[in-house]
Amino acid sequence: MSAFPSLAFSSMLLPAMPASTVSPPSFVQTLLPAAILAVTAMLLMLTEAFSVSKSRSYQAILAAGASAVAGFLAFQNTQLPAGFILNDRGVADGFSSWITLIACLAAGMSSLLALGFFRQRNAERGEFYALLLFAAAGMSLLAVSNELITLFVNLELMSVATYALAAFWRRGNRSVESAFKYFILGAFASAILIYGVALLYGATGTTQLNLLHTALPNALKTTPWLSWPGLILVLTGLSFKIAAVPLHMWTPDVYEGAPTPVTALMGAGIKAAAFVALVRVVLHVGDSSAVLLHILSFLAAITMVVGNLMAIAQRNVKRMLAYSSIAHAGYILIGVAALFTTSHWGNDVGVLSVTKVATPTIETLRPAALQGILFYLLSYAITVVGAFGVLAAIEKREDDGAADAWDLNRLSGLATRRPGWALAMALFMFSMGGIPSTIGFLGKLYLFKVGISAGLIGLSVLGVLASAAGMYYYLRVIVYMYMKPSPETEIGLRHWSTEFVLAVSAVAVILLGLLPGPLLDWLSQAALFIPN
Amino acid sequence: MNASSTLLNYVVFLPMAFALLLLLLPGNEKGQIRFATLLGMLVNLVTGIWAFAAFKPGGPEFQLEYRLSWLSDLGISYHLGVDGLAVALVLLTAVLGPLVVLSSWRFVEERVKEFHVCLLILQTAMMGALCSLDVMLFYIFFEAMLIPMYFLIGVFGSEERQKAALKFFLYTLVGSLLMLLALLWVFFLSGPEGTRSFDYAALYNSLMDANREVSLCMQNNAHCSNLSATAAALLQWGPWMFGAFALAFAIKVPMFPVHTWLPDAHVQAPVAGSMVLAGVLLKMGTFGFWRYAMPLFPAQAWAYQNVLVALSLIGIVYGALMCLAQKDIKKLIAYSSVSHMGFCMLGMLTFQAEGTMGAAYQMLNHGVSTGALFLLFGMLYERRHLRNMADYGGIAKAMPIFTVFFIIITFSSIAVPGTNGFVGEFLVLLGTFKSNLPMWAGILATTGVIFGAAYMLWVVQRVFFGPVTQQANASLKDINFREFVTALPLVLLVFFMGLRPQPILEVLSPSVERYVARVHQARPNPEAKTLSPQREKEALWMHVSALPPPQPLHVQQVDDSQPLLANNQPGERP
Repeated sequence: MSAFPSLAFSSMLLPAMPASTVSPPSFVQTLLPAAILAVTAMLLMLTEAFSVSKSRSYQAILAAGASAVAGFLAFQNTQLPAGFILNDRGVADGFSSWITLIACLAAGMSSLLALGFFRQRNAERGEFYALLLFAAAGMSLLAVSNELITLFVNLELMSVATYALAAFWRRGNRSVESAFKYFILGAFASAILIYGVALLYGATGTTQLNLLHTALPNALKTTPWLSWPGLILVLTGLSFKIAAVPLHMWTPDVYEGAPTPVTALMGAGIKAAAFVALVRVVLHVGDSSAVLLHILSFLAAITMVVGNLMAIAQRNVKRMLAYSSIAHAGYILIGVAALFTTSHWGNDVGVLSVTKVATPTIETLRPAALQGILFYLLSYAITVVGAFGVLAAIEKREDDGAADAWDLNRLSGLATRRPGWALAMALFMFSMGGIPSTIGFLGKLYLFKVGISAGLIGLSVLGVLASAAGMYYYLRVIVYMYMKPSPETEIGLRHWSTEFVLAVSAVAVILLGLLPGPLLDWLSQAALFIPN
Repeated sequence: MNASSTLLNYVVFLPMAFALLLLLLPGNEKGQIRFATLLGMLVNLVTGIWAFAAFKPGGPEFQLEYRLSWLSDLGISYHLGVDGLAVALVLLTAVLGPLVVLSSWRFVEERVKEFHVCLLILQTAMMGALCSLDVMLFYIFFEAMLIPMYFLIGVFGSEERQKAALKFFLYTLVGSLLMLLALLWVFFLSGPEGTRSFDYAALYNSLMDANREVSLCMQNNAHCSNLSATAAALLQWGPWMFGAFALAFAIKVPMFPVHTWLPDAHVQAPVAGSMVLAGVLLKMGTFGFWRYAMPLFPAQAWAYQNVLVALSLIGIVYGALMCLAQKDIKKLIAYSSVSHMGFCMLGMLTFQAEGTMGAAYQMLNHGVSTGALFLLFGMLYERRHLRNMADYGGIAKAMPIFTVFFIIITFSSIAVPGTNGFVGEFLVLLGTFKSNLPMWAGILATTGVIFGAAYMLWVVQRVFFGPVTQQANASLKDINFREFVTALPLVLLVFFMGLRPQPILEVLSPSVERYVARVHQARPNPEAKTLSPQREKEALWMHVSALPPPQPLHVQQVDDSQPLLANNQPGERP
């Protein structure tokens, strides 16, 4: 038992059962968070039909409350042993519960952001929050999928809700353009994914991931012309969802065009959910060939480099954060590649070679890598919600459709006009850049530690160099906020919900950056995956 | 629980506490803010002096240790402690603190609160980096220093400040991120799963055997066949890891050719920023070499000694030559820093007692004299807001006391006997000639001293003497009481450290001996005519008798019954 007294708090929250009698969560326990989200979503749609009340603020609070309850239930599930549910079609492990938690966090925070945002625009609608919760339910269900068809359906549940969310604020062309682009490209990627699934089914006779694990190595030998294209197509579809270079083109446009609270959801929640899909698949297929490792390493490398370099060129803060989210996906891909380096020591592929640093076994490396991925996703979710929260706060109603709506100049002198917002934004920028004493640093430390112990030295070096380059554009935001004179124009209105989100994320960024003790304990105690 | 075991916590975190206090004050109460900051720095000075006094030179290597469990899942603990060099640098930092606040009493009139919060946080970060005995904790403080310094340069600097601040930040970040990777690698090499720790002593001990094997192998290839796994990895990848550490610290020192951020940062920074930058931040580079890079990779340190010495020598001579070409006084002082820090590096790279002692002493000297130069020039700048030498001339008539101060500091900077600079530079040069380095290294370094005298005297001559070229300079007011009080401690220190170096040398000498002994574990060729142990002992200033060969460091156990979050008095828990 660790020394942190806060753990007393954690054990209070958890079911008090002796360790030996704790059984894996039942399917009810596992699906309950998603069910709560979905039921609340339907309720919200009904309020739109039946409620006569003029004020609709309660809708956002209801959505946030449902997310909080669902998140709490998911948190309780994180500490239970892992097991299969629903005839092995679903998997209830720590990883899925944590992703559900992150999804609920993202949904709750973005609905609070949306409260102030849409109130100022007189555009509060129940269906917005309903869609938001449906997307969160999709993420949660995606996280428990152990079967490619289920995975696909839940991915679509999440995506379709997000397409609609991106188009929700119909003023100006941008929102529509972005939603349309997102929809067309997303549908295309889904088609690729399902085509790949079909080919894999043809090659192995199963769509269930743990069965695929046993069948695939053989299939790669006997029917390479079927299984290889299937594998590549599945990876391509998933790479689109996590926005890995070269399938990242949609990200800046969609992030820019979508209403800012929705962008926050995309950065925090959709990213995490897309990664859970990728991790689920590669956990089961990754060992079968070293080629997959090299593909993932290569993807990680170009995603980090291109994401950061493109972000440097942006003056539009929303696009800049979009490219930065691509770069962050690249860092997380290091963790994904680290999941199965133990099977492929010493393949010489230049910079991306795997060097045997220590002698980690798969039993120690995989939990560490999954913890690293989860911690990074969590830290990024907290930070990105805050960063987009600041943007949502300074946005004005008249800005919609303006060409320079999110130009860096908008941030000029923020430190003198709104010191609190500027300080929070500075914290978020330092956290994204990975400067110590923020949660972002711990996330990077975790991931690079995993990268080094997995032997991905070249990739890690590339990663830190890319993140040093990335610091340039994060610092530029701070330069504008603190070192440029303030224009006379008024900036966005204050709303308690927005400020609440900013305060919570800013405090979390610092506090979890300095004292993450309980969080690390919870992560390391969770049974993150079921060994093959 | 006696006071001294928690003392370092106060040294590190009291400035931070005052920074939080400052946040509560209203922003337009400039007097109160300045006074509260000064008070915080003075309290910090008291704790710093206390720590220095509590340090016993004959005692164990690390004293005033304090350790708590923190981030234990990642192998990191909260571990503070100081050795002789660290406690001397702590004292230097503490002395400079109040002077920095006083120096900006009138200089900063806008965003006063932010300015002083930055100063206090910077003080905490610097103290933390000096006192950390956990390598990751050191890294965290090392990086955290960047943020307040970035704001000090970027918000309060002169016209080109944003560019300079960015350059400073990115330069340092690249180096330290690569060091982070090397550190992680070392961490994984240091032992099997579950036993690893970022604790300095544990990390050092776990690499000691492997380092011995590596150096044996590098000396004569006979022992290379049956290396342990750690040693083999260290042999293969050690140069890269050492390179990453060395790069991070070389940028901070700064060594040629990664010094280019320094002139920009110094020129653009406000007086307070320049003082802290020159006074303490640059020492983090040499301190990092001393504490981390050399002892963790002694074999590589020997292997690359010639490269690093060459870079240091280039830095000394190049820095001095650049000084001769400058018109801008601040830039000149900045390049003189490059030259002086080159001496520190050269002394440490002699791997020999006198030279290393000189390097340690020179670190303190440079903090005093260059800090004072920036301080004094800041006073002039406050009056005229001009940086070029050509804009001044004949100031001695208008500002006699100021001139006396400036000339004394100049003498310290060019190492006139009787001042502190003499002790340091003399030891470095002595060490260089006595060490295994070729004769011309010492000769080249000596030319640096000569150039140093040339450019500093040139500055004095052009600024203070000669005809008054501009009318505005004739009516300058001499320094007032506040400025006098600010500069006086540094001037006194120049003489004190020059005439009575013993108390400080005594504190430094055990650290010096241990550093030399650790690096000598990996002496590449024992038969070569390097130093014999007797010659080290002969040195007059070594009061402490020769220490036994380096033993494994004492690892302080974490007491898990004392949780970090419980309360501030861990002893009181049942």
